[in-house]
Amino acid sequence: MIRSLRGRVLALVLGLVATVWVATALATWLDARHELDELLDGHLAQAAALLVVQQAHGIEEEHEVDAPSLHRYAPKVAFQVFHEGRLVLRSENAPRHPMLEPGRFHDGFRTVRIDGVDWRVFSTQGRENDVQVYVGEQVASRSSILLAALRGALWPLALALPTLGLGAWWAVRRGVAPLRRLGMTLDRREPQALEPVALPDAPLEVAPVVAALNRLFERIRTLLESERRFTADAAHELRTPIAAIRAQAQVALAETDDAQRRRALEGTLAGCDRLVRLVEQLLTLSRLEAASGGEMTLVDLASVARRAVAELAPRAIAKDQALDFRAEGACPVRGEETLLGVLARNLVDNAVRYAPRGAKVEVGAQHMNEHVVLRVEDSGPGMGEPERRRLGERFFRVAGTGENGSGLGWSIVRRIAATHGLQVKVERSKRLGGLAVEVSGPAAG
Amino acid sequence: MRILLAEDDPLLGDGLKAGLGQRGFQVDWVRDGEAAERELRARNHEAAVLDLGLPRKDGLDVLAHVRRAGVATPLLVLTARDTVPDRVRGLDSGADDYVLKPVDVDELAARLRALVRRAHGRPEERLEAHGVVLDPAARAVRKDGAEVTLQAREFDLLHALMLNAGRVLSREQLERHLYRWGQEVESNAVEVHVHNLRRKLGAELVRTVRGIGYILPRDERAR
Repeated sequence: MIRSLRGRVLALVLGLVATVWVATALATWLDARHELDELLDGHLAQAAALLVVQQAHGIEEEHEVDAPSLHRYAPKVAFQVFHEGRLVLRSENAPRHPMLEPGRFHDGFRTVRIDGVDWRVFSTQGRENDVQVYVGEQVASRSSILLAALRGALWPLALALPTLGLGAWWAVRRGVAPLRRLGMTLDRREPQALEPVALPDAPLEVAPVVAALNRLFERIRTLLESERRFTADAAHELRTPIAAIRAQAQVALAETDDAQRRRALEGTLAGCDRLVRLVEQLLTLSRLEAASGGEMTLVDLASVARRAVAELAPRAIAKDQALDFRAEGACPVRGEETLLGVLARNLVDNAVRYAPRGAKVEVGAQHMNEHVVLRVEDSGPGMGEPERRRLGERFFRVAGTGENGSGLGWSIVRRIAATHGLQVKVERSKRLGGLAVEVSGPAAG
Repeated sequence: MRILLAEDDPLLGDGLKAGLGQRGFQVDWVRDGEAAERELRARNHEAAVLDLGLPRKDGLDVLAHVRRAGVATPLLVLTARDTVPDRVRGLDSGADDYVLKPVDVDELAARLRALVRRAHGRPEERLEAHGVVLDPAARAVRKDGAEVTLQAREFDLLHALMLNAGRVLSREQLERHLYRWGQEVESNAVEVHVHNLRRKLGAELVRTVRGIGYILPRDERAR
């Protein structure tokens, strides 16, 4: 198997040309030989006819006559005339015994071997049966005639073969040049280069490859860019909690009043907790963005939500909030259970976190009309239209909440929803007056 | 010294306010850009610490707007944005200093003092007039080489007068230096503090300009 495209095309073309050439030469050879045989056999028959006629009219002598050799080609041709089994006339080079076994062949053409030489012999009888005429010709002489005749025709053909090969090589080389150029262009690129490949005269066959490559480059570029931006954003976002921890710690260090020092130390701890949460969220998000396609199974969104509510209930109780969960039957969806858990926990956590002390938080899961809906509502302050629109921007935090959110929870929620094909709707809760978040998607199973 | 702190992060704002308070600053804390701009336009502060990522109005916009409005208060930008273009843009928008989070509270205090000093055209941190030397960093005062113990407000009052040596400061202006928001101003506090300063440092140091306020005469020898 030749791996070079050029080599393959070349081998195929040249092989085909050579085969056709050989077949043509063979056909020509056979055709020419056939024609020549016909012609020369005709001559032999003609000569035999002359001898028969001559025998009928002329030579009555009962003694043997040797015909003189008149030309240097003459030894290649021979004849014999027998009368009543006796040789009466022969050419100088003809043997004395009959060229064909008498009695068996009286008429027609035969190829025989006489003294190690192949002869083509025509035999015929005279008007009376007592005369037998043989006219022979060396087969070798026929072959040389055939060769001489064909040499003129085959020479140009033989010359044409290498010329054709050279031409084919050049044509194929030119034909696959765009491929070679593409290869060279890709080869010359910097390993980090992600700009599109430009191949202005790319042939139709190569264009899809170039387009696919460029799409790939574009995708990788976007991915790297978002990765880079994410790292930069994350580094920035980590600075503020670290600054807070540092400031609080410094205050505690310099404080002489015990109550004040205690307050500052508590602030330091709160800062650490927040940093941990931020880092956890960052890791969740980066895992989400790196990995796509964990194992999708049949998940009951209602029980996932129930677990999230149970997990956050202590926090709600600490804030005197009424956290309420309601589910009507199972809510089957296809998804990754852990990720859906993260989504549900983030939604409930947001509600508990941003709704004030004593507020109501309601979580509901519903299965209706082939749709599964997870709804989280609170009686908190809600948010205005501009803020609702900016939710899910990384590190965007609603101003003036006094809460130490990471600004990543919504990014995580949106990301998980997107990978599961779920819709997220944020609006004002008509029943409770605060924020209402609805995550919905087609039911599975 | 009264300064404005504009920082939206609750924990960091709280820490900086307490930390700078420990280091002798009266800190007013605002949490968004609009409040910061309003306060800066009121010109009640000797200096301001401005976070760039403020809600409602970006710190850079606040900077540009107050500078265009002619507010000359020294402004220190405190930010998490650390690229060179960010810093250049910050300084070009009118910031006097650019500090990256996380910041050491002592360093922040020193930078604020330096900004205020430069704003008053003084190259030296220590202020000196009529034999009295005030060291803002150590919050120490010496009279003819001997240490004098001052109450916090007495120190702040002396600091304000020495920074503005040769200029008359009204009672209201002095009160603004001494009290941040929410602190009740006792009716004759300034008079009491001036009285104590005179008692501790000599009657001639602070002069009364009747009906207007107080002045610490410029010491031509000290300059």
